[in-house]
Parts: sequence; C-alpha cells; structure tokens
Amino acid sequence: MSFKENMNLYSKGDKAFVYLNMFLIAMFTASTLYPFIYVASLSFSLGDAVTAGKVFLTPVDFTVAAYEMVVFDPAFWTSYRNTFIYTVGGTLTSLLFIIPCAYALSRPQLAGRKYWNMMIAFTMWFNAGMIPFFLNMRDLGLLDSYFGIIIGFACNAFNIILLRNFFEAVPASFEEAARMDGANDFQVLWQVFIPLAKPAIATITLFCIVSRWNGFFWAMILLRDEEKIPLQVYLRQIITQLSDDDTFASSLITSAYSFETVSSAIMVLSIIPVLLVYPWVQKSFNKGIMLGGVKE
Amino acid sequence: MSTVKLKNLVKSYGDVTVVQGINLEVKPKEFVVLVGPSGCGKSTTLRMLAGLEEISGGEVSIAERVINDVAPKDRDVAMVFQNYALYPHLTVADNIAFGLRIRKVPKDEIRKIVTEVAETLELTPLLERRPADLSGGQRQRVAMGRAIVRHPKVFLFDEPLSNLDAKLRTQMRAEIKQLHKRLGVTSVYVTHDQVEAMTLADRIVVMSNGKIEQVGTPMELFNSPANTFVATFIGSPPMNLIEATAEVSDAGCYALFEGQRCLLPTLSQLSNGEEIIIGIRPEYIDIEPTENASAINVSIDLVETLGSEALLHCKFLGKPFVIKVETHGQLTHLESLNKLYFRQNAITVFDKKTTNAMIAADNK
Amino acid sequence: MEDINHSLSTPEPMLLVKSRRVVKHLRKEWQLYLMLLPTIIWFIVFLYKPMYGLQIAFKDYSVFKGITSSPWVGLEHFYTLFNNDQFIRAIQNTVMISGASLIFGFPIPIILALMFNEIINPKFKKTAQTIVYLPHFISAVIIAGIVITAFAPSTGVINLMLNAMGFDSVYFLTKPEWFRTIFVGTGIWQEAGFGSIVFLAAVAGVSPSLYESAVVDGASRFQMMYKITIPCILPTILIMLIIKIGNILEVGFEMIIMLYQPATYETADVISTFIYRQGLQAAQYDLAAAAGLFNAVIAFLLVITANTISKRVSKTSLW
Repeated sequence: MSFKENMNLYSKGDKAFVYLNMFLIAMFTASTLYPFIYVASLSFSLGDAVTAGKVFLTPVDFTVAAYEMVVFDPAFWTSYRNTFIYTVGGTLTSLLFIIPCAYALSRPQLAGRKYWNMMIAFTMWFNAGMIPFFLNMRDLGLLDSYFGIIIGFACNAFNIILLRNFFEAVPASFEEAARMDGANDFQVLWQVFIPLAKPAIATITLFCIVSRWNGFFWAMILLRDEEKIPLQVYLRQIITQLSDDDTFASSLITSAYSFETVSSAIMVLSIIPVLLVYPWVQKSFNKGIMLGGVKE
Repeated sequence: MSTVKLKNLVKSYGDVTVVQGINLEVKPKEFVVLVGPSGCGKSTTLRMLAGLEEISGGEVSIAERVINDVAPKDRDVAMVFQNYALYPHLTVADNIAFGLRIRKVPKDEIRKIVTEVAETLELTPLLERRPADLSGGQRQRVAMGRAIVRHPKVFLFDEPLSNLDAKLRTQMRAEIKQLHKRLGVTSVYVTHDQVEAMTLADRIVVMSNGKIEQVGTPMELFNSPANTFVATFIGSPPMNLIEATAEVSDAGCYALFEGQRCLLPTLSQLSNGEEIIIGIRPEYIDIEPTENASAINVSIDLVETLGSEALLHCKFLGKPFVIKVETHGQLTHLESLNKLYFRQNAITVFDKKTTNAMIAADNK
Repeated sequence: MEDINHSLSTPEPMLLVKSRRVVKHLRKEWQLYLMLLPTIIWFIVFLYKPMYGLQIAFKDYSVFKGITSSPWVGLEHFYTLFNNDQFIRAIQNTVMISGASLIFGFPIPIILALMFNEIINPKFKKTAQTIVYLPHFISAVIIAGIVITAFAPSTGVINLMLNAMGFDSVYFLTKPEWFRTIFVGTGIWQEAGFGSIVFLAAVAGVSPSLYESAVVDGASRFQMMYKITIPCILPTILIMLIIKIGNILEVGFEMIIMLYQPATYETADVISTFIYRQGLQAAQYDLAAAAGLFNAVIAFLLVITANTISKRVSKTSLW
C-alpha cells in the first residue's frame, strides 16, 4: 500500500487524524511503561527519599543500597537458583512430552487419533480443580519436591494442540519421502519434523519458559521447604510483608533502604530474565506462529 | 533391471473403490506413464506401488517378488514427489545424502556418491545451497538426485513437473528422458498432462474412474484410440467427434450427418442405420482434395493462428470442430475455406452405445 | 488381502481376524504409540485421576480413610455451600469482576488494534507494540507488587499525587469500594496490548484493494476505519466476545490472592479464592472440592455453549 506510506497525499483532516492517533498511542505506551520505570526508580532511590514521598519518575538520591541488601541475602540466591532449576528442568521436560505426543497425534495412521485428541482437548474445558489436584499431588508424594513441580506441570493441552496443528500442516510428502528413504518415526520426527517446526517449537519453548518463570501459585501451595521455593514465592513473601504488616516493615527501615526499595529491587531483578528472552518472544509473533498465523 | 507387475490391483476406502482392478506389466528399463484426469486413480496406483497406501486387493510385484506387505523402504523404489519434498533445513548435498545417512552408509562413501550424482545432474556448484535459494528447475533436479543416489530398482514419479512453468517443464521433460536413457531404470510416471505422457513414455496407460482405458505406445494411442475417452484425452487439440448414422451398401460404408456424406473405412461389423460416432484428428483433415477423401461443406467461424500452423474453428451438429493446418505464411485463404476433405483412412469409427472404437483407421 | 480371502473361505472368528490386524498395525506403527504413551499417562495421572478424586465433593472426606473409603454424604456439601453467605458472595463477586472486566476491558484491545493499524511509521508502531505486549509476560506477583507499591498509603505514587492535588491519602487496598476498580484497571493495563494481537491479525486480513478503492472514492482515513475495517473484523470481534463470555468464571485469582485482604473480602473474594481459603488454608477439602466442582461444571457448560455458538458464527471450530 504505497498510498498509506505517502503522507503528502493525505488531506488536512487525515493528517490531523494520523497525528492525533500517534499521540494517543504514545500516551498509552507511556502509561504501560511508567509503572516499570517507577519501580526501577524506587529501587535505585535512597530509602529516606522514598519514605518521604519524593520519588515519582526518576531515582532520587541515587543508590544501589537496596540491591546490596538483596544480593547479600542468601535466600534470594537460593530462590533465584530454584527458579532456574524449575524453568530449565520444566521446559525441557515439557518439550520431551509435548513434541513426540504432538507428532503422534498429527499422524493420520495413528489409530483412534480422534479420541486421543479429544482426551487431551477435554482438559482445556474441564478440570477437576484446585483441591483434587492438590490431594492427588499429595497422594503421589510430590509435595515439597523439585520433581513434583517439574513433572506436575509438564504438559498442557494448548501447547500440544498448537504444535500438532503445525505438524499437521507439514505436507505429507515430507514424511513419505523420508519413509521411502528408510527413516522410522523417531528419525522422521528428529531429522525432518523438528527442524521444520523450529519456529513453532521456539514459541512453545518460550511459553513454557515464561510460565515457569512466572508461576507462583502452585509453588506456594506445594512447597514448604524454604530451600526449594522459587523467586516468585520469595518475592511474594517480601511483598505481603510490605502490605500486611506496616509496623514490622517500618521497623526495618534504615536511611539507606526501605521495604519499598528492597522489594522494587527484587522485582527488577526478576523481570530482567523475562526482558532477556522477550526479543525472541517478539520474534515469534513476527513470524506469525502464535494464534495460528498472525501477520505483521 | 526389474519388471513391475500389477495384478488385479484394487484400492478402496470403505465403500468407495478408487482403483478397480488394474493389470499392468512394466518391462525392465521401460518408461511407463500413467495418465488420466484428476481422481482417476493414477496417483493412488503409484502410491500403492511405493508402499504409501495399503493395498486393498490384488498383488504388486517388483522383480518377481510380491511386495504387498513390504515396507516402502524395503521395496527398493525411489520416488520424486510433486512438491519435491526437499527439506528446507538441509543443503542440497544433505538432501541428496538423506537416504544414505538414514541407511548408515559410511561417510566417505556418501561423499563420493553425492559428488557423482551432483555431476550427473549438474548440481555441483549448488551443493551447499538450501532449497529456498534454488530455482524451480534446480529443485526438480535435486529431487531427482535424491531418488538416484540409492540406485533403486524402480523410479516412481508423481506429477513431478506440475509445479513448473511451461517453458521449464519442456526443458525438464527432456532432462528426465535423457536421464532415463542414461540410467535405464524401470520408471513409472504419473501425470495428468497428456503432452508429458506422449513425449516421455515408452508406453502410456490411460486411466479413468479407477480403470485402465488403454495401454499402448504414444503413436498407438494417437492413431488408434480404443474409445472416445482416449480419443479426446490424447492429442491437442483433441480428436473431433461427430455423431452420425451409418449407411452400408455395396458401394461401401458411409456416415451421414447434417445432410453430408462421408466415406468410412470398410467395417464388416457396421450395419445400415447404426448410430455411430466418427472421429477425426484435427491434424489429419485436408483442405485440398485427396484420394479416397469425402468433401465436407463447412463455414469457418474463427481462425486462430499459431504461426506456422493455424487452428480453424467451425461447428458440426452444434458441437465445436477444429482443424489444424499449416499456414505456409498465409492466412487469407483459410478464412474463406468452404470445403474440408476427410480421408477414408484418417477416420475412426466408434460405436455410439459403448463408445468403443470399431476399428482403427490406418495411419495417414 | 490374505485376510480377506481367509475370512471368505474359512469362516474364522471375527475376533481373531481383528486381533491379527491390530497386531500387524502395532508392529508397523509401535513407535507412534510409544511417542504418545508418556503424555497420555501424564494426562491420566495428573488431570484425569483428580477427576476421580472429585467424588469427595459428595463424601465426608477423611485424610486417614482416603478418597475411596470415605463415606458418602450425598449433596450435603452443596447444601452447606448454598447456605453459606460467603460462597454466595463469592459467586456474585466473580460475576461482578468478570463482568466489569468484560465491559471495560473488551473494547480496548479492539480500539488499540484499530489505532495501531492507522500508524504509518513502522518503527514507531513496532516499538509501541513491543512495549504494550510486555506486561502480559510479567508475573502476577510482580504486577501485584507494583500495584501495592504504587497504591501504598504514604509512599505510593498515587497517594503522592492526590496529596499534591490537595486530597488526603487513601489506603486503597483496604477499601472494598476500590478493589474492583483497581483489579479491573490492572487487568486492562496488563492485557489490553496483548489482546490487540488477535484483532490486528484480523485487520491485516482485510484486503488492501478495499482501502484503495475507498481512497479513489475520496474516503477519509477515519471513514475507512469506520466503514471498512470495523465491518471486516466484526466476525472476529463477535467470536472473541463469545469466548470471553464463555470464560466469565475465570478470574485471575493469583492476582486477587496477592491483592486482597480480609478488609476487602466483601468485594474481592471470588469462587477460586474461596476454594483456596476453604480447601488449602482451612483444609476443608470436601467442601472446597464441592465448590470447585460446581464452578467447573458451570464453566464447562458456558465454554461449550460459547464454542458451539462461535462455531456457528465462524463456521470453523476454534480448536
């Protein structure tokens, strides 16, 4: 649409419309960004400045005291390490389950394919809920264990169906040609389908990473041992102290850092990894994989 | 060098039978083309041969070995697919080597074979490229390379040229033909394009509705079609058909239509007043009187010029009728043409009821 | 083929013929089933087995007796629930919060998508999109942390601004009348950008020739948006609306758990948080399971209905 790019061809009204629109989008974008900037500024401000209510946009009396406080807390590093374990272990486990399953479900020669698919899709609409799931985890002896968190959330129907759809769209001749060349199912999957589905697999991997990194509810429920909790649960403990117990919080305030600055610092530190993978997440939008063919 | 035999081959999906008892023997080194309109069962037949479709009934054998229950990889056949099935993530060399790698051929040997094949197909400078960076013709050659490397007993081609533009198709057709000459491997080729069939085949198998209509060399099919289906399917433009009534007397056999009378080949089975269809190829119609030719009155509606040749369009009994003539650089005399000459031995007579040919006209 | 001949000549029992076919199929395709097996087992162990455990909703569950041996009590837990003001309140709150999210949150992604579509500078567009999609990928804990910090009574930016304008500080998170506004607003802030993707995709699917012919006809950009884009993406809007209504019982309870406190229960407590408190905090498993079952069944019916309707609207299934 060459017309669209050529502003000279626009009428006055259209130009005004375009600029107003740009302004509004800029406002919305700024309001999306502001809370992050606010938190970052808090984390770099002096505790006293925050307590005195001086911080709006930029750090006041710049200091890294809050970060020092966080970095020297062993519980922070334990939870950070645990989150890495859950994220890496969980994501790999998920892929190990999801990829072969999606491949099998996409093959027309699989008997009862319709029923297997239904069995998996059904869980998207109906699940037993919190309590039976918890009791089941308890009965399986998976409370308070790394393995429980990793295996208990390994699969979800949505990711399987997403990848299955991608595999189904691969022309049949790719499998047939490989088969005539003597490849078995594992070879077809490993040497043909996985390389072909790289963008879809990358998308699913990112979904897994983000949901693992962000997951806190079940970790909070299933883990009792402080040595095993992930970052989000640790962060929650800090934040709830902040909101629940004002007197306790204020008793810890020194001039260098306050509860606000410390919790902000932890938030910043836990957002950073998400920001690091975010460009790849973006790329998978641009490739049009998500939501079945999003075009830029 | 292997014989391929199809014995009473049947394929059905539930109640629908798409291949209804095919019998065919492909001789060693022969190039056989299965041709027919889409949905005629030609691809299904090929895929049963490849082992990609289960066989519902009958028998397939290669080199005297029944292979009904043999896995595709153990049939010793190679196939070129319509979309080539080149793996986009692999280089040309790796694509060609894919089958060898799966079969765990030693690396040195793979390199040697791939180099050889690449030379045969003039792919050497492209070996490190990926399929996305190749032209249509180059992709086609890589697909053939992948089939050749394994030295299979039989080559199968599933409409391999249908994704190419017209010019490239002609060129690749010639390359396939040459390759077949050089390698001499028994080949079965499926296409819906009769020109491809005519130019490539040693023998053509014309199929429709899951059955074989006729098997024969290209010229046999062209000159002596077994029925009106083959007559109109083979040849471009197709054979002209005119519904007529037979007139048999001592003077000979004639066809009557639109008040005109046309001398037919002498056919003993023809009876007076029988409903027939006469067929005559556009190429075999004369515009100057010749021996044993009937003069037919005509008015030309349209002249389409192709350069050295022209197509004249007219109508008989309301149905289009086409004549292909040489122009000798002139068109004016064609538009005013009012007489055509149907040579007796250029005419094929079909029974109107069965649509089968009664006897084939002699060649020219 | 041999199978067919055999069964015609010697009347073999069907079972034998069938089982032979199964064995042949498995011998050929066993790898596929091997690939499928782990996930199927996972689904049975982690998602279907808990469905068996749902029976405690009708039982007097005792940890010592286990799920199977606990005695049946029929619908007792359901009577208890529906005579429980807190549960009734939780249902009301769920519908209220979801309804408000739908009414205020649904149009915004559509408007955003339309606005993004009108941006000419590709770099500006890309940057803006990158930023507004981001909150979707941030965890509930952090979002809640930001909210708590920003709304804090003495140091939060919101109250600082109120003070600057001459108002008194409000401890928002302890005020029931503010909870819904804060929660719904946060939800919109977090998801509106990401929600616009599906509408942007629909907008991208509109044929450019429609706009070009409109330009030739002298339409303004606003008219084009109003007369071409919106009608063209209407089916997508409708389907998304139906899906959203189908999911009305789904509330981001992780966020609520973070944000609510006893003082705000009267507006903040939803079904999921009720189940969480009754079941996981107070260990009344059977009662909470009954509440969960009620919730799951209603949600299931809503989703199925929504899916059926949207199938009819779009003529294609969503899954």
